[in-house]
Amino acid sequence: MCGVCGCADPNSEVSMIDVKTGVTRKLRDSASSLAEAHAFAHAHGLPHDHLHDHTHHHDHLRDHGHSKADAHGHVQSHSHDHPHDHDHIHDHDHGHGHGTDNRVVALEAAILGKNDAIAARNRGWFEGRGVLALNFVSSPGSGKTALLEATIRALKDQVAISVIEGDQMTTHDADRIRAAGVPAIQVNTGAGCHLEADMVAEAARALNPAPGSLLLIENVGNLVCPAMFDLGEAMKIAVISTTEGEDKPLKYPHMFRAVKIVIVNKMDLAPHVGFDEAACCDNIRAVNPAAEIICVSAKTGQNLKAWLDRLLLLRGDLQLAV
Amino acid sequence: MHELGMARSIAAIVGEHARGRPIKGVRVAIGPHACIERGALAFCWDIVTEKTALAGTTLGFIDAEGDTFTVRDFEIREEA
Repeated sequence: MCGVCGCADPNSEVSMIDVKTGVTRKLRDSASSLAEAHAFAHAHGLPHDHLHDHTHHHDHLRDHGHSKADAHGHVQSHSHDHPHDHDHIHDHDHGHGHGTDNRVVALEAAILGKNDAIAARNRGWFEGRGVLALNFVSSPGSGKTALLEATIRALKDQVAISVIEGDQMTTHDADRIRAAGVPAIQVNTGAGCHLEADMVAEAARALNPAPGSLLLIENVGNLVCPAMFDLGEAMKIAVISTTEGEDKPLKYPHMFRAVKIVIVNKMDLAPHVGFDEAACCDNIRAVNPAAEIICVSAKTGQNLKAWLDRLLLLRGDLQLAV
Repeated sequence: MHELGMARSIAAIVGEHARGRPIKGVRVAIGPHACIERGALAFCWDIVTEKTALAGTTLGFIDAEGDTFTVRDFEIREEA
């Protein structure tokens, strides 16, 4: 299914659920059809079928003519707006056409280029609307959803908030967010272990966040893969909980290097689990000296104000910039 | 567990640009912060390319900066 991250189950598909209306839309087919598209492209040397899964998926739909109209339309615009890919192909043609000594073909093609191109579009879309998009990453069970719930309850009367929830299965998290009082879209990645930019693009269109609002993206609980995938967010924020141990930042340095803020959650449990706050902060700074660290308890509200103030400041900075 | 998918992605990019010409080797540029384990990627490359037009091709690595992760180039095999 994923094609970029190998941890995906080949038989799963990605879907998006609006928990308010219950409408489910499939974002990606299961991989049996993708595999056919792959095989076909390999056999025929089709140039554009291989660049990324999003295109794959929709190329397949186009080939077979059973795409939903709106999905189809989105993708056409995606495909058309990727001059990057075409440049590469043109360069290559040119070089090859000149003769026999071009045995080595220079590409310098970004392996995550497709995702990055869509992420850049998302970023422009968010910036144009003055929407502050934040990508929350953590291991499963660190309390991301609880933190978002507490944030929503505190701020929803001051600022419009919407949420994209990423999980492999279920709408539990989006249901919790909706119960907290704001719109939420659940993206089910099937066996996929992270959100990708095209999923966020579709979910953001469905949510249609108001200008000046907050768009909180809760990634799939995983400290590895989400570090590599830009979604177009203003920044990544890691959540780590006191029950996980102080050495998580050292074990997963790529993730902690990719974030600007680290929120240490479940501080209410710190005394009970022997959590060493100073050691944890040292470990975070060892891999990311510039990271801001905010220690809170989403459950008890301990020091939550420091996080809320920081969030409003981020939003204020964005409004000034726009 | 990334590397399998990354190998697929590299094979897709090369397959697209090769346009049916026989490929001898592929070189990828990897920065120290790219989050890519070379041994795992090389292992996955063999699995991914098995029974495809890229079977038997070599996957070479070039040191790069930062989080660079690109297909640097590929070499076309001379027809005998």
